[in-house]
Amino acid sequence: MDFSLTDEQQLLLDSLDELIARECTPDYVAKLDKEHRQPTEFRQAMHEAGFLGLGFPEEYGGTPVDATTLFLIAERVAKAGLNIGYGTELLSVLDILEFGSEEQKHQVLDELASGGCPFALAFTEPSAGSDSAAMKMTAVHQDGKVVFNGTKTLVTNAVGAKYLLTMAKNPDAEDPKRAFSMYLIPTDTPGISLSPIEKMLWRSATSSEIFYDDVTVDESCLVGKKGHGFVQLMKNFELERIMTATQSLGLAEAAFEDAATYAAQRHQFGQPIGNFQLIQEKLTDMSIKIENMKNIVYHSAWMVDNGKLDRIQASMCKRYCSMAAFEVADEAMQIYGGIGVTEGARVARLWRDIRGHRFGGGTDEIMVRIIGRQIVKDRS
Amino acid sequence: MKIVVAYKWAANPQDASVAPNGAVDWSRAKYAVSEYDPVAIELARQLADATGAELIGVSVGEKQVASPMAKKAALSRGLDKLVLVADDALAGAGPVKFGLVLAEVIKGIGDVDLVLAGDSSIDVGQQTVPAVIAGALGWPTVSQVTKVSGTAGDLTVERNFQGGSQVLKATGPVVLSAAADAVTPRVPGMKDILAAGKKPAEEVPYSAPQLGSAVEVTGQSKLTLKARKGHLIDAADPAAAATTLVGALKATINL
Repeated sequence: MDFSLTDEQQLLLDSLDELIARECTPDYVAKLDKEHRQPTEFRQAMHEAGFLGLGFPEEYGGTPVDATTLFLIAERVAKAGLNIGYGTELLSVLDILEFGSEEQKHQVLDELASGGCPFALAFTEPSAGSDSAAMKMTAVHQDGKVVFNGTKTLVTNAVGAKYLLTMAKNPDAEDPKRAFSMYLIPTDTPGISLSPIEKMLWRSATSSEIFYDDVTVDESCLVGKKGHGFVQLMKNFELERIMTATQSLGLAEAAFEDAATYAAQRHQFGQPIGNFQLIQEKLTDMSIKIENMKNIVYHSAWMVDNGKLDRIQASMCKRYCSMAAFEVADEAMQIYGGIGVTEGARVARLWRDIRGHRFGGGTDEIMVRIIGRQIVKDRS
Repeated sequence: MKIVVAYKWAANPQDASVAPNGAVDWSRAKYAVSEYDPVAIELARQLADATGAELIGVSVGEKQVASPMAKKAALSRGLDKLVLVADDALAGAGPVKFGLVLAEVIKGIGDVDLVLAGDSSIDVGQQTVPAVIAGALGWPTVSQVTKVSGTAGDLTVERNFQGGSQVLKATGPVVLSAAADAVTPRVPGMKDILAAGKKPAEEVPYSAPQLGSAVEVTGQSKLTLKARKGHLIDAADPAAAATTLVGALKATINL
């Protein structure tokens, strides 16, 4: 197996390092967290340097690259301490590229190419989180229009997004498996109201509750086939899980760097605490976990690029990285001790943000449900 | 118009370690286009875009200066082509030898109107090479340049100097070195990097310059920090402490 980077990947990461040093400093990221706002400036800088067009076809202003390169970029951005700074919406755009009409592709990709946030994925509902089939939002097709009613919650980065990629069900569908469809709805459509939710983590990404009250949109807002919403959504969920895992990896690397540096410099009992074997054991195990995370992320990325990724691998990657990253962050916090929870200690924010990845994008437990059932099924 | 940027493929000292005896271990140092050279490339690129000039990068050094990675790294910054001297005989060469070899390369290119270089190299930092090139070519040289505009034989150059700035007129070929903060260099994107692999890069053979004498590094040591005075001011009486502090500061700067 060849884990070395190509010249192009290395140069791209070098460029990204330059950009991060200028536009995504530790102070900037801390400010985003404190002010509960998205990294608009860094996103614009990424756009101007051509990073936001990576992975998309040239006819839409993009630059095609392999998935491994995209994951490497996401890891690097997360390693700068910025959670959900790159990649999450990128992979959702694949839904539009694959299933959207030509008009929808231009709507979304033109917005992305101009540095804007094309859409937020409106999926979760107050009564439908992991149990997505319990979704209640309705989409009634009548006279060439679709009327939406219902509530979505914990929608990431809806504030500032031009569209809401919304999942809703046809209340009259006979087959419940074919009840859900996917729609691209302008966020400023009358009847849509956003209510941002305050939260203790992922503060550089907004979360919102969204109310749809008789929202009426032309039927051309349908993405793909009517009744195929779930199938379409699941298609790129696997890539999103790898992306989430990659972000966990990058954030864990940041926590490890902070903790290792602190251990080497913090003196107690007349010497650096890093001299104590109990601290060394923590650092060693953290380092091994990071190495394991890298292996499963890079292997998964290789599987994507070679058309071999399946739900099991994606779910294993997501579950392992979310949990291992939190173990790393938790130990980093332990090495810091009380100073770790004070204002200005980055490790506290990393600990909070990494914790969110254990349920964001699919809980640890749902990953077990996917993986465990398949393991047994394969042997039955 | 033909513009040349002289750049260095240099190891980053941040990754080097210094042993107690002063020996420098460069084995873990990563090579890149030397830190301030992208500023010179950007300055030159902007002038080339404004005038339609050809922008040529030149560099000399050990074999690795012509490695695919080194060539792509330089070309992705906006250079149109490269002319390189890559020979291990240049290992450990000082700024005079580098400057003389670069001057020969520039002569070989022919009809060059302007040479730009970075403020200094990240590994040696003597700020000497542009002057050596200019001397060898018999051209004038200007340092700390912040802006350059105009066309061949009629260039307007702005530079910083202690206490202000100057505007100069260059009526013939000239060697300029850019101020470290003259412009913000662009960050190469994937398109630039992919395009870099398709741009031309020419290697020319090394011909050792004749130097009348030589200077060699015969010893190295770590920087010795001056001992701190450790003057503590008792702040029990804040007003008295402030007066003492001001007095000490005045004494330090000889007011």
